[in-house]
Amino acid sequence: MNVRIRNAETGGTVDMELEGENTVQEIIQGASAFWNKDDGAYVIRKGKRLLRGQQSVAQSGIADSDELELIPDPEGGA
Amino acid sequence: MTGTIRPGFIDEDRYDRSRRIAWLDVERVRRTKCLVVGVGALGNEVVKDLVLSGIQDITIVDMDQVVRSNLNRCVFFREGDAERSLAKVDVVAQRAMELAPDVRINSIEGKVEDIATEELVRFDVIFGCLDNIAARLHLNAQAGHVKVPYIDGGTDGFRGKVQVVLPPATPCLQCAMNQSHQRILERRFSCTGAEVVVHERKIAAEITTSSIIAAIQVREALKVISGRSEACIRHVEYYDGYQVRSECYELELDPDCPNHG
Repeated sequence: MNVRIRNAETGGTVDMELEGENTVQEIIQGASAFWNKDDGAYVIRKGKRLLRGQQSVAQSGIADSDELELIPDPEGGA
Repeated sequence: MTGTIRPGFIDEDRYDRSRRIAWLDVERVRRTKCLVVGVGALGNEVVKDLVLSGIQDITIVDMDQVVRSNLNRCVFFREGDAERSLAKVDVVAQRAMELAPDVRINSIEGKVEDIATEELVRFDVIFGCLDNIAARLHLNAQAGHVKVPYIDGGTDGFRGKVQVVLPPATPCLQCAMNQSHQRILERRFSCTGAEVVVHERKIAAEITTSSIIAAIQVREALKVISGRSEACIRHVEYYDGYQVRSECYELELDPDCPNHG
């Protein structure tokens, strides 16, 4: 299946080819590598739901043509 | 209804305008005990908002001293505090008490790990105002263990987030972790578990985002304290000040999360 990943910081998109056994964290790794993201943490959302990293594409209910968003997970506060 | 009033009586009550919010339980707010871990950018703002909201019993924890680069976002710190390298907790305690004379602030100069889990039971709400994932996960686990609501804030430049954890019902910080968080933790700790802060990036920070995220943390706490938990964020609110976006996203409980066993 093919999904579209949106970069929450820039609005840019990239299409990603996935198998059911791929994991959400593989999507995060792939997308952050594509956009040369820094060493920070990231999460992925589908609609109003944050996807758990350990889940597979099949388990997380990702379907063909879905749009996912890669969001930086802010770590600072001091 | 009868009684005696005099002109201007409305403005003699410090909390008159708060009492006009129907759902806000001001008396309960005043009896609430809060723990704020980290009194940097978020912690300064959280303490300020708690004190002005009427919370009278606040414990603050931080191991750092004031430095000049804190001064772009910390309302309680002054140039002289940085010059004298004063402990952040001492400065925040002193200046916060100037805001409201009846507030009691107990300051602990140390690490979050220095607080025994059993000591957390006395608090009604715990605030995470930290700057690293390891300390957040520790506090999240401790708060979950004693079943005290935990409200975590995080910022990076014009971005921020708030997660509300109401143990044991809602997902916790650990439930939201993935390998990108794990990589950050691995850089911070050696294979023996000893802390080796060799690659700690300086995270962008400015006052508008700090104050907004801290205000959301305190707003959510006021709901919890007033018995309005059903109106709280489910479960994480992400804020993007540059693109003017703020949205709440739901999380699932991770069945393998050690905090929900």
